[in-house]
Amino acid sequence: MQGQNQQQAYDRGITIFSPDGRLYQVEYAREAVKRGTASVGVRTADGVVLAADRHARSPLLERDSIEKIHKADDHVGIASAGHVADARQLIDLARRQAQINHLRYGEPIGVESLTKEVTDYIQQYTQTGGARPFGVALLVGGIEDGEPRLFETDPSGTPYEWQAVAIGGDRDDIQAFLEDEYEEGMDLEGGLSLALRALASVSDEGLDATGVDVATIDVESEQFSALAEDEIAERVTELELGGESDE
Amino acid sequence: MSNFPDLPGMKDLDANPYEPELASFDDMQGGSDDESVAKTGTTTIGITTDEGVVIATDMRASLGGRFVSNKSVQKVEQIHPSAALTLVGSVGGAQSFIRTLRSEADLYEVRRGEPMSISALATLAGNFARGGPFFAINPILGGVDEDGSHVYSIDPAGGVMEDDYTVTGSGMQVAHGKLEDSYHDDLSMEEAEDLAIEAVYAATQRDTGSGNGVYVATVTDDGVDITGYDDFEGAR
Repeated sequence: MQGQNQQQAYDRGITIFSPDGRLYQVEYAREAVKRGTASVGVRTADGVVLAADRHARSPLLERDSIEKIHKADDHVGIASAGHVADARQLIDLARRQAQINHLRYGEPIGVESLTKEVTDYIQQYTQTGGARPFGVALLVGGIEDGEPRLFETDPSGTPYEWQAVAIGGDRDDIQAFLEDEYEEGMDLEGGLSLALRALASVSDEGLDATGVDVATIDVESEQFSALAEDEIAERVTELELGGESDE
Repeated sequence: MSNFPDLPGMKDLDANPYEPELASFDDMQGGSDDESVAKTGTTTIGITTDEGVVIATDMRASLGGRFVSNKSVQKVEQIHPSAALTLVGSVGGAQSFIRTLRSEADLYEVRRGEPMSISALATLAGNFARGGPFFAINPILGGVDEDGSHVYSIDPAGGVMEDDYTVTGSGMQVAHGKLEDSYHDDLSMEEAEDLAIEAVYAATQRDTGSGNGVYVATVTDDGVDITGYDDFEGAR
């Protein structure tokens, strides 16, 4: 291969530890996630809620072309924060692995197994020369054996399971809000309100219903279901999260 | 989709879902059908009850149906914490099939922290039988999971059929006669064991590919228990 002086700078070579044991490229990828708009996941007894800020930078941009929440299989949804293009690669991987599980075992894939397929893949990009890590974090939510499950993936390829979690911009503030407001045993509607309130908590102008994506996967139907814009608007008004533009 | 198959230990994401994860069918060779291949001939029976599954198999291996090459073959093997599979067809193909399924079931369980469901195991077995080099096998899969007791017959083309009771092997018609007469859906495990042994016994009396004794496997929530009897008097 190349000479030894090729990758002496440990903050550039992805496979190189710094002297104090850090992988700077992975940490820089986490910064890329923070530059993205936030996504929130809430697990309730009745199912999982995913909500994402997808406000447009121009009124001329078609809203539907901003993709933040994706269906991975009938029973699993994925929300992203960070590089959307990177997210699309991982979501396609997740969709393929979900179908492979159907082909192989004749059963829907578990949410934990699916998350780990994705994180194992992400991890390969932290240990391979010439590659760059994924600049994206994902929330993987769904139903497994009748139970709601919610996982986070980060650019290092570590999976985490959560009751409620935020990724992307303002993560720390939104997470603090969730920690204060999360209640065990809340129903799906309660989780939906919490997710919207959490997103609104970091917005000065209030939530614009057209700039939010929401999906649920409930334990009864075990189906991914994206909320229509008017269903989101209804709740934003009800919760008085709309700010000036709604009044 | 690209990944890094060059590095050791990395998973090949493009792996064929119809093949075992750890050994591609391209690496295996199917046997050839000639008279030197040991066949089980065989009568294997699976019966479900409310408490579990009973599997019974005879003990004869033969060459071309004319010579008894082994009189004490164990044709039922545990492949999962609460499932067993019978060997029917070529002995080599069936043994390889069992090793393959067992390793896949183990890998699934350690990765996911729970054993494969019996229907997943049956689907996997059907995929392997259909695409694989396992050569003319026709096993029965019997197992217990949270949905209850299951018996599947798996045919050489990968057909997977669930039933309350099933028989495969050269003695199947004789054994079915006994089962059709005596099976009912509230058998206890003991009654199902007696019935399975009687049915294997009947087959060994008329089918030249079956004989020499009986192995009985009982599968419950607690696991798989396999016992061999080289005469039917001892079993009954």
